[in-house]
Amino acid sequence: MGRDGLMAREVGPDGGASVPVSGQALRTESRTLLEERDAWTVLASIHGLGPVTFGSLLRRFGSGRGILSVARRRGGRAALTARAGPKGEQEVTRISADLAARIVEHAARGDDVLEAVSREGLIVVTLEDAAFPARLLAIEMPPHVLFVKGDPAVLSSPSAVAVVGTRRPSDYGRRVAARIAGSLARQGTTVVSGLAVGIDGAAHAACVAEHRPTLAVLGGGHRHLFPLAHRRLADAIVDSGGAVVSELPPDASPTRGTFPRRNRLISGLADATVVVEAAAQSGALITASWALEQGRPCFLVPGAIDSPTVAGSLAFLRAYPEAARIVAGVPELLEDLGLAPAHADAGEPVRATPAERASKAPTASRESVLSHLGGSERAVAEALVAGRSTADELVATTELPIASVLGVLTLLEMRGLAVAAYGRYRPAGLLASS
Amino acid sequence: MLATVLSATLHGLEGRVIRVEVDVAPGLPGFSIVGLPDAALQESKERVRGAIRNAGFIYPPRRITANLAPADLRKAGASLDLAIALGILLGSEQVRATGRWALLGELSLGGEVRRVPGLLPMLAALARRGARRAIVPADGLAEARLVSDLESLPASTLAAAVDLVRGPRSRRPRAQAPQRVELAAETAGQTAPAEPAAWSGDLPDLSDVRGQVEARRALEIALAGGHGLLLVGPPGAGKTLLARTIPGLLPPLGDRESLSATVVDSVAGEHPITGLVRRPPFRAPHHTISYAGMVGGGPRLSPGEVTMADYGVLFLDELPEFDRDVLEALREPLEDGHVAIARVGRAAIFPARFQLVAAMNPCPCGYAGTDSSRCHCRDSLVERYAERVSGPLRDRIDLWVTMPRVAPAALVSRAEPESSATVAARIASCRERQVQRRGRLNSRLSGRALRGAARLGKMEERRLVALSELEGLSARGTERLLRVARTIADLAEAESVDGACLEEAARYRSPASVAAQRLAG
Repeated sequence: MGRDGLMAREVGPDGGASVPVSGQALRTESRTLLEERDAWTVLASIHGLGPVTFGSLLRRFGSGRGILSVARRRGGRAALTARAGPKGEQEVTRISADLAARIVEHAARGDDVLEAVSREGLIVVTLEDAAFPARLLAIEMPPHVLFVKGDPAVLSSPSAVAVVGTRRPSDYGRRVAARIAGSLARQGTTVVSGLAVGIDGAAHAACVAEHRPTLAVLGGGHRHLFPLAHRRLADAIVDSGGAVVSELPPDASPTRGTFPRRNRLISGLADATVVVEAAAQSGALITASWALEQGRPCFLVPGAIDSPTVAGSLAFLRAYPEAARIVAGVPELLEDLGLAPAHADAGEPVRATPAERASKAPTASRESVLSHLGGSERAVAEALVAGRSTADELVATTELPIASVLGVLTLLEMRGLAVAAYGRYRPAGLLASS
Repeated sequence: MLATVLSATLHGLEGRVIRVEVDVAPGLPGFSIVGLPDAALQESKERVRGAIRNAGFIYPPRRITANLAPADLRKAGASLDLAIALGILLGSEQVRATGRWALLGELSLGGEVRRVPGLLPMLAALARRGARRAIVPADGLAEARLVSDLESLPASTLAAAVDLVRGPRSRRPRAQAPQRVELAAETAGQTAPAEPAAWSGDLPDLSDVRGQVEARRALEIALAGGHGLLLVGPPGAGKTLLARTIPGLLPPLGDRESLSATVVDSVAGEHPITGLVRRPPFRAPHHTISYAGMVGGGPRLSPGEVTMADYGVLFLDELPEFDRDVLEALREPLEDGHVAIARVGRAAIFPARFQLVAAMNPCPCGYAGTDSSRCHCRDSLVERYAERVSGPLRDRIDLWVTMPRVAPAALVSRAEPESSATVAARIASCRERQVQRRGRLNSRLSGRALRGAARLGKMEERRLVALSELEGLSARGTERLLRVARTIADLAEAESVDGACLEEAARYRSPASVAAQRLAG
């Protein structure tokens, strides 16, 4: 998978002006390409302009630049909302006045969008780029633009499997997710997930611990990462050669609607989807449905029938007995995926990550993380790993005063090693992986 | 003949001196009160008539006019009854007074003098205007004697009041009062309605609270610095129990605060006052409380819960269940320390320097985040529930703590938790430190004063920036963090705020967003 400046132009603070300065001597051809890419970036940032409308606008006006120049013209709004296309096209999606107004507005201040993209150090990959993942081209309604942080080559890695699940997993789920993701990563398979807390986080963390690339698909823009600990995890993913990707512009905040939409990308970017623990109505089941719809295999990890955390998975297995498959064990899963364990040794060598190159830190396993922590931090971190979750338990185990336990928890949280929710603390990031 | 007597009414928390002029003149029998009386005062006519007759005097069959001066002030309440009645007796020359008297009290039809709310500020106003002798309801004597500048004499009936006015020399046997049939229950009902029951008697001690070290610590910091505190947790986590220990943890009020609290208590009139109120008020209104109940108002312009909690703690259990209006109304008192209430023709400013302590469930069903995944609330519902704790309130809550359910093991833990007395001592000395430094509690510090008090070094400045960037804190959020850190340092008797204080303070921040908390669960 090649990667060059033309296919995926890196827009960074040093990567040249986001908008070509007029009068600058640029080759016309590349300049046209750049401008068209910028036009798409601007258009993709417009709230409410989804793949369908985008496509229909492109058909009507020929190109992204065409759309923007129409929008910039006097009476642009009317031109955008006009029913008939230039050649009397029969099927044109109607554009609401609101959306047209937003397009006109964005056309006027397109530089802001490009500025935000470059500030975040994002790479823009469009549907027309060679770097655009072929897997996504095969799905319905592929996004026109992807905002990528990290290595865009990860989007098209030869083998990719999604590992998703509930945000409130049991210890069993967490363990299984880490084992599956770890094994897949060692096979050289890219693990795709949603960077949410719970199963998603455990899967990503397991890959990071193996120094293997993993792909995180966000439900919002790059500037809206949560929880806190996962901002660190996202950095670690990029550092270990993976990528964090979103179809939404950096400033878009995630809403209830964006997650299901995002889920089609998770399954779409992977050859197969594995669901580890999904309660009834879990979002992971939406990903599973997308996988089936996209004609990709879908596997579900079973569990005890009286456990609410797998109720959704079991119901799904029952509802789609032909299509949905069961995970009978990690080696069995690899076999079913066509990744025979024998291939393990043939897998590509572990890439040296930027983080490794930058620091002389030994392999970032849980033990090495622990050994680098100071006295009281280490005591608290060890208690967290041992499953102590409330402040009461942490104080009782470490015998530290509550004031220091709380201060240390903040420090661990700052380093992405702990998360807090509902008065309980859990190990996160590298502390959570085994 | 014209008679003039002094009395007073309430205006907000202040007494206003009223000159009651009664003219008993020949003409068609009738009784009119002029001078902007309210409905309760209009009914005063009937009470006065009944009381005079039943006390054994003659209600003069003449044209009676009572003028309440100053005429432009709207008068409310029944505190003028006794003065009007005596004015009629003086005006009809049934009684001759020795010297000038001020009279306060409501009359029953039977002639008893009843306690009125706000005796304390009304007497204080009379004293300021030079009154030297006042007749007050007998059961309000203890309260009246708190005003030392004038002599208060008790009268339990109109007849007793008349005796006092006549003076010792001219005392002569009164006419016999007409026979009355009396139900035994009547007196039992009106005497001594006890103190507000809930918080006075058996207060729980902090040593009764097992586990919850984090919440205990947060409570101590909050009370030490006067910070707003929100306890979040599932039912049974011990939020309410913890809150109920607050009265036992607060230091007694100083002289100025004490007087102010006593005046509020007096005006509220919930129970007789036996002395200066020294214990800081702890108010826990139910979440069904009305707007007027919370901020004050109503026809009598009476103080609301925020004022009754002045210099004390206002505890709102089940915070999101309160009416949105009621919560919004807390904005002004939380920011300015007082509430302004305007009614037709009248406006009053009530003090409301309370400390806010609130409790809520993490979600409508209450079980979000518990191990057993018992919560089945839809995410959108949880979101809306938490969003009811809106902007102005969020800004005033310096400490947020989430209380998990305590595991049964902790309930029988061998370590004896600290008692209220130990913690109260720390809180008291910590408050003293703050008052000595800046003359106020840390929760009232902001801007330059806060920065000055915090004495951050270069390292700590950087730490603060790192923490606030990481938490995505606004400028206000950073100030909250610093305020709490200052109190943590004060509890440790440290001169300056160090990194550890800041890191601990960061634990008590509000969750960055509802979504984040929900996702992390």
